[in-house]
Amino acid sequence: MIRRDFSERDIHMAIDGELPADERAAYDAWLDANPEMKARSARFTADRTALRAAFAGVLDEAVPVRLRKVVFGETPVKAAVSRSRWWLAAAAAVLVVAGGLGGYLAGIDRVGQENPAEDQLAEQAIAAHVVFAAEKRHAVEVPASDKDHLQTWLSNRVGLKLVAPDLTANGFQLVGGRLLPAGESKAAMLLYEDDKGERISLFVTAQSSQNAKGTYASAQDGPQAVYWLDKGYGCAVVGSLPREQLAVVAKSAYGQLMAGLAS
Amino acid sequence: MHEKKAAILGEIPRLRRYARSLLRDRDAADDLVQDCLERALVRLDNWQTGESPRRWLFTIMHHLFIDQMRKVNRRGEATMLPLEAGEAVAQPAEQMESIASREIIDALQAISPDRRAALVMVAIEGFSYAEAANILGVPAGTLMSRIARGREELRGLLDDTARRRAIRIVEK
Repeated sequence: MIRRDFSERDIHMAIDGELPADERAAYDAWLDANPEMKARSARFTADRTALRAAFAGVLDEAVPVRLRKVVFGETPVKAAVSRSRWWLAAAAAVLVVAGGLGGYLAGIDRVGQENPAEDQLAEQAIAAHVVFAAEKRHAVEVPASDKDHLQTWLSNRVGLKLVAPDLTANGFQLVGGRLLPAGESKAAMLLYEDDKGERISLFVTAQSSQNAKGTYASAQDGPQAVYWLDKGYGCAVVGSLPREQLAVVAKSAYGQLMAGLAS
Repeated sequence: MHEKKAAILGEIPRLRRYARSLLRDRDAADDLVQDCLERALVRLDNWQTGESPRRWLFTIMHHLFIDQMRKVNRRGEATMLPLEAGEAVAQPAEQMESIASREIIDALQAISPDRRAALVMVAIEGFSYAEAANILGVPAGTLMSRIARGREELRGLLDDTARRRAIRIVEK
């Protein structure tokens, strides 16, 4: 009989059938010698039985027609994107936690490629805007007063030559910027504000391999994103302005960004 | 192609059970399964012949679930209702649940999503530690500690419920 010290950990292993067979006898002897552990084991075992019983009925239920239809191709696949949208509208969460969960989310991303790249970019940009544009005092990491440093820092981090566009002609002043995660890569966010306190943000990443452009809104009356993707970078301008006005600002920002990248 | 689809169809009851244990609400659980199936069908080519459809589908669904939980959590919704509140929200009695089943289902909903998934994966779905760790994308050690903490948390909640029930009886 194998002699070793057992612990609570072994109780779980034994219940889950993970205890090596040749340790079983020693384990049982240990349980007998430790009434408290034996009682604990009995409670956990009973809970396991109760859990299985509580959900056993599900296996006998008829498969709902809507699920059957998915498998046999009667539901357009596009529907997946729209039904999931309510999760995605809260995409802010991904941004906020991505820092600490980099590796984990990278794993999720591999499975989650069903969204076209442009949707992802727009969703990330909108999420960032929702979170940070609402912040009064902590909207940016580096303020506009330190613009040179802001541009150098973000350019180095994102890997693109970034020049913060001058949007004063459109009534917007630079507030500052911050660095954000974007999928497995990084994004720069530049925040602007007009004299009424209306804010728009620019979201730029170096992560893109396709060409696309368009507008995107994640919620009915939420902010909109105007975006461009080109080989080597993606850019989105996000705000709650009327669509035409946002398009004008975005065009101006895009032109200047392009000029900056090429300079 | 048809064989693959037939194999997927065969896994639906298991996927529904897993989803139901994760989310409780029947419609929400079936929504999760539907998203999982749609995602799976889009990437049918990624599924290697020989790979167990169960493992493949559970992995997809787990990612969807964790993704959703993180987002919902951040929106500040009560994903972890305290037990009293959980009881107050009258669940439609879609099937005859015994009191014991209802209590354990409520308690399961009250533990953290990560622990819930780990515990359900081995205790209900019967995956081995190695399989479960693989599906959840965590090291075996993490899985084991989630299972242990999940079980303890679940037991603690059930003890609390039992205590409250006892108090109520005494008060009568």
